[in-house]
Amino acid sequence: MIVLAAKLLRHRAGPAVATLIALAVGVLILVAMGTLVESGLRFQPEPRLFRSADLVVAHREISQTSKDFTGDTETTTAALADGTVDGKLVARIRQVPGVATVAGDDRVIVDSPAAVGHGWGVFAFTGRSIAEGSAPQTADEVVADVRLRAAPGDQLGLTIGGIRKSYRVSGTADTGAAQVFFTDAQAARLSAHPGRFDTIGLSTRPGADGGAVTEAIRRIASDAGVTAYSAGQRGHAEQSAGLNARSLLIEAGSAFGGYVVLLIVFVVAGTIGLSVRHRRRDLALLRAVAATPGQLRRMLMAETMLLSLVAAILGVPTGLLAARWVHGELIDRGFIPAGFPLAAGGLAGLAAVGVAVLVAVLAALIAGRRVTRIKPVEALGEIAVEPSRSGPIRLGFGLVTLIGAGAAGGFAATMSAATAALASAVGMLYLFVLAVSLLAPWINAFAARLLAPPLSRLWRASGYLAAKNLRANAQGMATVLTALVLSVGFGGSVWFLQDNLERQTMTQSRAGTLADRVVVPIGGDAAAEIRGLGGVRAATGVRHTSVVVTSFEGVQAVGAQAVDPAALSTTMDLDVTDGSLDKLGDGTVAVSVMQASTSGWQVGDQAELWLSDGTPANLTVVALYRRGLGFGDVTLAKSTVAGHLARDADDEVLVRTGPGADAALGAWTTAHPGSTVIDAGTRDQQIGADLALGAWLNKLLIGVMVGYAALAAATTMVMAALARRRELALLQLVGVTRRQIGRMVNAEQAGLLGTAVLIGAAIAALTLGSIVRALTGSPIPYVPPLGWVAVLGGVTLLALATTIWPVRRLLRIPPIDNIGIKE
Amino acid sequence: MLVHSGPMVGTAVRVEKLTKVYGVGSAPVTALDSVDAAFGRGTFTAVMGPSGSGKSTLLQTAAGLDRPSSGQVFIGDTDLTRMSETKLTELRRTRVGFVFQAFNLIGALTVEENIVLPLRLSGAPADRAWLAQVVDRVGLGDRLRHRPAALSGGQQQRVAIARALATRPEVIFCDEPTGALDSRTAADVLTLLRAVVDEQGQTVVMVTHDPVAASYADRVMVLADGRVVADMPQPGAARIAEHLASLDRRAAR
Repeated sequence: MIVLAAKLLRHRAGPAVATLIALAVGVLILVAMGTLVESGLRFQPEPRLFRSADLVVAHREISQTSKDFTGDTETTTAALADGTVDGKLVARIRQVPGVATVAGDDRVIVDSPAAVGHGWGVFAFTGRSIAEGSAPQTADEVVADVRLRAAPGDQLGLTIGGIRKSYRVSGTADTGAAQVFFTDAQAARLSAHPGRFDTIGLSTRPGADGGAVTEAIRRIASDAGVTAYSAGQRGHAEQSAGLNARSLLIEAGSAFGGYVVLLIVFVVAGTIGLSVRHRRRDLALLRAVAATPGQLRRMLMAETMLLSLVAAILGVPTGLLAARWVHGELIDRGFIPAGFPLAAGGLAGLAAVGVAVLVAVLAALIAGRRVTRIKPVEALGEIAVEPSRSGPIRLGFGLVTLIGAGAAGGFAATMSAATAALASAVGMLYLFVLAVSLLAPWINAFAARLLAPPLSRLWRASGYLAAKNLRANAQGMATVLTALVLSVGFGGSVWFLQDNLERQTMTQSRAGTLADRVVVPIGGDAAAEIRGLGGVRAATGVRHTSVVVTSFEGVQAVGAQAVDPAALSTTMDLDVTDGSLDKLGDGTVAVSVMQASTSGWQVGDQAELWLSDGTPANLTVVALYRRGLGFGDVTLAKSTVAGHLARDADDEVLVRTGPGADAALGAWTTAHPGSTVIDAGTRDQQIGADLALGAWLNKLLIGVMVGYAALAAATTMVMAALARRRELALLQLVGVTRRQIGRMVNAEQAGLLGTAVLIGAAIAALTLGSIVRALTGSPIPYVPPLGWVAVLGGVTLLALATTIWPVRRLLRIPPIDNIGIKE
Repeated sequence: MLVHSGPMVGTAVRVEKLTKVYGVGSAPVTALDSVDAAFGRGTFTAVMGPSGSGKSTLLQTAAGLDRPSSGQVFIGDTDLTRMSETKLTELRRTRVGFVFQAFNLIGALTVEENIVLPLRLSGAPADRAWLAQVVDRVGLGDRLRHRPAALSGGQQQRVAIARALATRPEVIFCDEPTGALDSRTAADVLTLLRAVVDEQGQTVVMVTHDPVAASYADRVMVLADGRVVADMPQPGAARIAEHLASLDRRAAR
């Protein structure tokens, strides 16, 4: 059977090539994506500071368990940007029998040179020893890591919280990262969160019952609402960019992986189905002469297995190369830290090939149903064509899906809670695309009937023929319609959503920034100093942080800013819709309209949230504002977050200047090395560049999916075009001129692709409109001019490359040479 | 020896009250209307009739390619009407041979591979000596490695006949086997079919509209409107043509 399958494949290479391309590119995408996910899964954060600690206590996430509609409990977690634990825990842990040493880490962020400071108490847990010199004895002594290139006896200047101080290097050590170790007292003095520790490490006494100690520490930790990490998980307790990269890779891969698999099933099933359709007479003859339906199915299966093997050989190495490229790009763009290891991809390769074979077999099984329906009598007929009826079940499912999509669209358009509207809009998108794929034959037939009069009028005989062909090929071109609607609808929605978000963020930021200068200080309470400078009318210190809020989806971290409330209205306009920012201060909070609707808050309500160190806070909502995208969904007073951030310093100071201010600012920055002044326009550009960078990964993923769907449409169309040589030759022989045939093909393409683009664009517009309305309140989405060009140009190019040029080539051969060809 | 249970010993194919109705609902078309017929072993029958007379339907149902609406079909003693699609296929590949008007061969396979295709699909061991004899008989010994595209129409039909013979079937059904050939090539192919009946004792049932082709048969059966209107020993091409013409006149009236 395999030999027969291989022979048949070799002879009818066209459809096989289409399936092979679909499978090979599918394997490529899966391998690349799988390798990145595998890299994420395999990444084990190495404990740096607590290499030799037995247990580490830290507060890295807020988790909340709630019951959903069905009564199932669901736990959601939100990562804390700089979670801390209460310093009093150290004393309690010390009392646990079996504990040898305990130390809390003050974790001091050194702004210049970039390093992290700790107290000497945790040095023992690094498992390293002093390379040269000795431990710090006095407040102005440090042990410096060798990466800071200082020798014992050297003076080392460190800027912490805007204050530069010189320390004497008492010793050096290789601790694996740029770190300095102060005396415990000095570290506590420098800490941005006095009385709280970033982490607490402990070691157990030799011979102590490790299980009992762990149990006791776990209990203490959970009583305090924090987590104890055992030896194997210690790396997860330490803050690391690697951990963020890990979750980014896993999330991106798993979010898109499912859709990619679905897409591959759809595309491969389409090409295999097409190959069956094109070989209908061969298969009917086989049935008539000797082959049972089962044998034909097995032959198809053997053929598909063969193809998927070849596809694996082509797809795996290229997929690994692609993974390496994406890995490099991700590092260059700052998504993952340099040196984040890329997995070899063995597991991902195996999984991808397994998935591809499974998908191919599944597709062959679906196509096999078609084969069973081929009657052997068809071998006797002049032309073997598939009956053009599609099942009523498909029609029924299609209509139900369409109704579902409509309902989701209704929800999306009317929901007031922004996140619910978002979820409905995304659901609507998928349902619409699914409905189109189910209803494609009917849509094609309907469009053909609708287009017949205008096409006939526009192109006369050619248009008439084109309309007839569209009607006759309604079934065969269902794949093309679906693939294109998917590309345009899906790509249009997700790709342009990024543009809309970027644009909206920029617009809000630009409109809301009343300040004309922005100082990027190097720490300390720079705003207070700048406010006192000559010519400065107002200065607002801004600290970017995050808070964890609850919504119907559970806990979630959202972007927040902490500002000086005094004179805020001079430097920043948040576009307040309700309440007033005047009351912003201790115990109060302002939130964006979107966040308020998601969390169900109104002015005067108590908002329960967690600050970025994990401290719960109960704040009164005093104002709602519109510019949440540009400034963060939550605005707090600086005093509210004081002592709760990892670093006690303004991230930027917004300055409204008057005459003479520039000179004063210039003098101030000279006096504070490392700080800079930029004008507001420059800052806008920087924000724009950062946003574009952040959208890159989403755009890459969506681009891959759209490209794959377009590839599916292209291969189908090329196959269909090349299968028409006999028909075109016949038309020429009965007197249709080449020019008329050319026009006929153009008219067909215009009809088919026009329908697809129209439906796809309508779906994209609906989705985008709903999402943009939820995010910004305005229902008109923004589509960059280049976006229109890309969509329309891409589709035109597709039509040219896949049908119009191949047909033109076919027409160059004298018709009499083609008429003899049996199909 | 036991007496054979079948009603007519020496019958290769028999149909009883064979009826085939196409389409359902308001306008059903009766292609076969309760036809009874039997084809003896070692005979060559031409089934004739105007377009729409049901001659092709008779061949398709008798060969197990299509199912009748009612009535029974026997190949030898085997009743086809209750067989599953798989059983039918197995029967076709061992006990029935086919020659169609055109598109008889799989383009991907060589002449030899096309000939042994039924054997390969049934997994039966090929009888080398018999195959050599068949190939020799159809005169294609030097073209075995060629693909169908390299052969003329007549040669392609010879390959189809060789394939039909390869399994030593009980009956070979031909549907207009010379319809796409010129008269000289057609004569070659028909001579070959005649020889297969005379020399190997094969049974051939051939649907044709060509009186000359029919004149190679032993017996001519004429259908009109789904019924057998004439069944006679082959009276010569001229008489057959006359007979068909009278049918046309009757239909025109």
